[in-house]
Amino acid sequence: MFDSKDNPQNKAERFPGDDLVQSSQADTQSKETKQKDGSTLWEIRTEERPYAFLNDPTHEETNRYGQKIDLIDLTGLPKERPMFINENPEVGTNPNRNKQHGFFFTADNCIGCHACEAACSEKNENPAHIAFRSVGYVEGGSYPDYKRMNISMACNHCDNPVCLKGCPTKAYTKHAEYGAVLQDPETCFGCGYCTWVCPYNAPQLDPIQGQVSKCNMCVDRLEVGLKPACVSACLGNALDFGVVENIPENREQAKTSIPGFPNPDITHPNIRFQQTRTMPDEMTRTDSMPVKYHKNEEGSYSPVIDQKTGKQTFWNLSRLSSRENPLVLFTLSAQAAIGAFGITFLGSLFGVESLSSFSQSSMYIPLGALSFLLIGFALFMSTMHLGKPIRFYRGFNNWRYSPVSREGLGIAAFMGTLGAHLAFSLPNNAVVQDLFLSITGTSFSHWFNLEMLANIATVFGVLAIPSGLVGLYYMNRCYRIEARPFWNHWQVATSFFGNMLSLGSLIAGTVVITTLLALGESISSSLVVFGSAMLFGLLLEAVGLFFHNKDMLKGEHEGAASHYVQLTTFGKTYKARNALIAFNLVFITGLLTSGITMPWILIGWGIAGVALIATATAGRALFYVLVIPTTMPGAFFWKNKGFEEHARDIGLANMPQVGVVPDAH
Amino acid sequence: MLFGRRKRKPIVIPNKTVKEWKYTTCNYCSTGCAIEIGIDEQGKVVTSRGHAGADVNRGKLCIKGLLETELFESPGRGTEPLIRQRFHEPFEKTDWDTALDTTANKIKEIQAKYGRDSFAVVSTGQLLTEEFYTLGKLTRGCIGTNNYDGNTTLCMASAVSGYKRSFGSDGPPGCYEDFEHTDCLMAFGSNLPEQHPVIYWRLKEAREKRKFPLIVVDPRVTMFAQFADIHLPITPGTDTVLINAMMHVIFDEGLEDRSYIEANTSGIEELEKLAQDYNPKLAQKVCGIDEDTIRQVARLYAKADASMSIWTMGINQSTHGSDGVVNINNLNLVTGNIGKPGGTSLSITGQCNAMGTREWSSCSGLPGYRYLENEKDRKDIADFWGIDPEFFPKKRGLAQTDIFPAIESGEIKGLWLIATNPMTSMPNLPRIRKSFQNLEFLVVQDVYEDVETNQYSHVYFPAAVWAEKEGCHTNTERRVNLTRNVLKPYANSKPDFWIFKEMAKRFENGEKIEFPETPEGAFNEMKQLSVGTGRTLDISGMSYEKIEAARGIQWPYRADSETLKGDPRLYTDGHFQTASGKANLIPVRFVNNNECPDDEYPFWLNSGRVVEHFHTRTRTGKIGNCNKFSPTPYMEMNPDAAEELGVQHQSYVRLTSRRGDAVVMVQLTQRVPRNMVFIPFHYHDCVNRLTLGLLDPYSRQPAFKQCAVRIEHVDQEEAARLNAERRAY
Repeated sequence: MFDSKDNPQNKAERFPGDDLVQSSQADTQSKETKQKDGSTLWEIRTEERPYAFLNDPTHEETNRYGQKIDLIDLTGLPKERPMFINENPEVGTNPNRNKQHGFFFTADNCIGCHACEAACSEKNENPAHIAFRSVGYVEGGSYPDYKRMNISMACNHCDNPVCLKGCPTKAYTKHAEYGAVLQDPETCFGCGYCTWVCPYNAPQLDPIQGQVSKCNMCVDRLEVGLKPACVSACLGNALDFGVVENIPENREQAKTSIPGFPNPDITHPNIRFQQTRTMPDEMTRTDSMPVKYHKNEEGSYSPVIDQKTGKQTFWNLSRLSSRENPLVLFTLSAQAAIGAFGITFLGSLFGVESLSSFSQSSMYIPLGALSFLLIGFALFMSTMHLGKPIRFYRGFNNWRYSPVSREGLGIAAFMGTLGAHLAFSLPNNAVVQDLFLSITGTSFSHWFNLEMLANIATVFGVLAIPSGLVGLYYMNRCYRIEARPFWNHWQVATSFFGNMLSLGSLIAGTVVITTLLALGESISSSLVVFGSAMLFGLLLEAVGLFFHNKDMLKGEHEGAASHYVQLTTFGKTYKARNALIAFNLVFITGLLTSGITMPWILIGWGIAGVALIATATAGRALFYVLVIPTTMPGAFFWKNKGFEEHARDIGLANMPQVGVVPDAH
Repeated sequence: MLFGRRKRKPIVIPNKTVKEWKYTTCNYCSTGCAIEIGIDEQGKVVTSRGHAGADVNRGKLCIKGLLETELFESPGRGTEPLIRQRFHEPFEKTDWDTALDTTANKIKEIQAKYGRDSFAVVSTGQLLTEEFYTLGKLTRGCIGTNNYDGNTTLCMASAVSGYKRSFGSDGPPGCYEDFEHTDCLMAFGSNLPEQHPVIYWRLKEAREKRKFPLIVVDPRVTMFAQFADIHLPITPGTDTVLINAMMHVIFDEGLEDRSYIEANTSGIEELEKLAQDYNPKLAQKVCGIDEDTIRQVARLYAKADASMSIWTMGINQSTHGSDGVVNINNLNLVTGNIGKPGGTSLSITGQCNAMGTREWSSCSGLPGYRYLENEKDRKDIADFWGIDPEFFPKKRGLAQTDIFPAIESGEIKGLWLIATNPMTSMPNLPRIRKSFQNLEFLVVQDVYEDVETNQYSHVYFPAAVWAEKEGCHTNTERRVNLTRNVLKPYANSKPDFWIFKEMAKRFENGEKIEFPETPEGAFNEMKQLSVGTGRTLDISGMSYEKIEAARGIQWPYRADSETLKGDPRLYTDGHFQTASGKANLIPVRFVNNNECPDDEYPFWLNSGRVVEHFHTRTRTGKIGNCNKFSPTPYMEMNPDAAEELGVQHQSYVRLTSRRGDAVVMVQLTQRVPRNMVFIPFHYHDCVNRLTLGLLDPYSRQPAFKQCAVRIEHVDQEEAARLNAERRAY
């Protein structure tokens, strides 16, 4: 067995390449640096050059955000312990292995030659449609005073890894070794949430494999003192790597932002930039995103809307359907289910007369079952949205950090307590009692204490309410993503809770009122309860949308760009939806306040219900289709959503070498 | 682990179990990077890496080299020889003997019927030098046609011609190391970061250590132009005017190196006389660079201790390509910048072994820079091969670009194409497509059976590629480097070396001439042929072992060399390969014969390469991680011009010229001027449906980069369909 202590290679003073770096007056010089036989770590090339070796003789105590650079103290782990890369127990020889490392990108120098991307894809054996590192660009000026700035970007192994916190399965680990944020594809169930929260497009969701993978910082190379493959391959002397906050030789700046790079406050990324060349005031993107970057007073660049498709407005109803359709159905049905049960249950609990009599009726169980089925359908939809549905149970693992886990837990708890509530309510149901009697010849009461069962049912019913609300709250938190400014607005909460009330009322109201009518009982108090809840829900949603529109219009971020798409590409749909909500608000108020009688009142509520379903569905579809993430600029073909869509439409995507995955259907 | 994690998750990183690293040289461009291919226990290729000890690339590789091992197994590779009676019939698989016999018989039949030169051979810059030498032996010595040339006519012919006219011989006189010595570098029509990224890296390294002025002459604002200290956005095709104006300033202000001129050149009087006519005041109106900038650049270049010029297709691919090269040489000769560290005329070559074919293929003459026109050269080679010198023609036959018109006019009836794809690469494709239908017999020898030209062939030879073979390349800086055989040829494909050797057996002279069994045997013959006093192209000291040990050796490298280092530069002693021993200063007068934009066709059509493409995409188009960066044809267009025409970003347009049309996707960018569009040239059925390709009078190289086009609107759905269909393989 290899003993790391006895191997001089593993001691800091014999760090491979040190001798080269220190004596490197000319990198034309090269020296035999072949590893000592027996090491099973990454094989250093024969006569490896200084540019490939890490060179961090000193480092800062903390980074600019106050985070300690030496991470070992934060973990309480022993210094020399293996990373078990490919289960290899050998300990790396890098003396700085417990320090936070990061990329250093000299934006002045990048030539956009793709060598970094190719070296990465070769090493990690990635197919054409997956890239741990991508080069995009921004450009500006006017011929011949034209400037293009290429940006090569991979994972920034952030201090605040939003991917790690967001991932419901705990697939991500931030290691004390190099501060690397690594992801285990075999843990991942392919929900893609990390791809939503990451501002840099680092996690790669592979629709073919149904799981995510990402940059692994080439920790295997770092362990022997080599820079990552992309850095070693760089032909413009643009990419570099080392202990974070260290400025490489020949470089003079360490900025945290360049035009096109998202606001570093979101994640405290471990990347630093040099960008000294003066760029035009406005830098545009060649991809289809309607975003460009404008120089602000501080001299850095903020995203603003680029009206790429003009001001014309369209319906584009067919484009409302997207791969996020399961999530449209998931969120709407979950909200409806929680609302339907909650309003009925609470109404009855608090003694609304007609609801109390409904809950005594045999139709109470079917309504509960309908809620149960709806929430079950919602969970099924969210599971089918996963790349690997069979791994759904992992969704609760990261309850400590992930809103997705908490949302799942809340909704599952709602479903469980609702189920229990229904089960304990069954013996008190008249139809069930009759059925039991006709089959067994004895009554329930002979066997059970019906009152106790009813009390237990009530306890579960009471428990279901907070479960559902917690579930919905975290469902809303899931979308409060800083990298998705269009979503990151309190409007999500008003929309989700508003829909809970409005859709819940619609469903419960339909069942309750039909039942009461059949029983010949009065419906007026139910109409007031459900009608008011519907009105209030709709009003909540409308208020949220009003302020969302206001905030997006004045926003200088990708959310504003999303809103621009909403106002143009989907402009007619958007306006029609808003008009319909306004109409419905007035109409429902009218229904509630006027003295219209049967059967007109029922027809009126029918119209309101249909309008509600239409606005809720269109609104939710828009919500998913529109979002433009805060992310890296693409190139003309690669990482250009517009081209990807086109390649799928015309069949180019069917050739794997185009690098676009065709639609599954 | 941070964030309270305790449970270890597995870290899995692809683990390439390399048992042995094999030495090769990259098979794409002429930078000449050394690549090590890693094979596992079973001899399967598992990975590759740049050779850190090789002086050329120092461990670096570009995107193509990094992914190159993927090409061995890529789709479309030829598996068996194919045969058919007519090109519109389906192919049938056949065996090698039948394919070779049929071809040999057809060649003889056509030659018997129409004369020896009615069968033409068009080769490439992609083979190994030993294969070029063997093909030369076969074509010049056995088949005996004088219509034999390479596709290098499309890329480097002007450099060859210019070097020969100025210095009396081909061969770039400088090297990459010159970047570390120069005090001023001027790049004409060369986009290093895109075309030769590893050479660019060498330049960048030099400039990071020691800043020196970089001047880039290019009508497009390439990344290189952007990084230049001075960018000269020249009017297409007017480089010679710029250089003449610079020389005007140099002579006018007495900045020339009079002692160098007098000692080492002839023709200064005529050159000075010509330069008088190119006052920057007048020149600025032609070349589009203002007079002050011309003067500034001229002074900068002439006053620097050592100045060097590099150029690529921006010079070569124009109607004055050869003249452009001559003029760059003039500039360097009058400023004393030839043969000294950091002072040189360095043509940056295109294909991996364009140099090898120039040196040894006998395309334009006889092996080792020998001339058909020279009786002694004919006799030397005939004696060495053991044939009658009278078998050789006494004058060079048609250049590659003249062979196709000769097919059109019926003078040539049969053609053998080797590793070249004229159905994509030739200018004015409508004319080429028509002429192919005139051929009585076409044999295509290529790595890929889906190479577009194969649609007109009667016999197809599946060829092995790169490290499936063994032999040498010569790079831009005259460095001979080795590719070791790493794996067996794919399916039933064969090394080109084997194909030539076997074909020779079917000809009468093939019995007389000895064809060595191994590439190394051929290399030894070349070594013998390179011995001679005063020869620059001397490889007599080299051997495969020495080349591998040195990771490439520059020629001249003579038998008595004691180190593993060849001469880094030519003409260091001021002696040139001309009759007088002096370099020729040749006055170059500008005549504008380009098809310039006019009312009918208002845009310049410029073309060029992008880094992820090579050689009509037969290889790179199938490697996803290369191809995905530009999978379909596109055109850079100025947004202001587009606005006027109502053309949208990322929509399709149809371009028309006086030759044909092409459908491309529009990329709006201020990188190009308002009256120019730019299209990468490796797409099949695209830019060359439009190009004119007027031929340079000396080099016969086509002017790919200057012609006029018009932009038409097109139905988006129909265009998309056409686009998808034209990319389907």
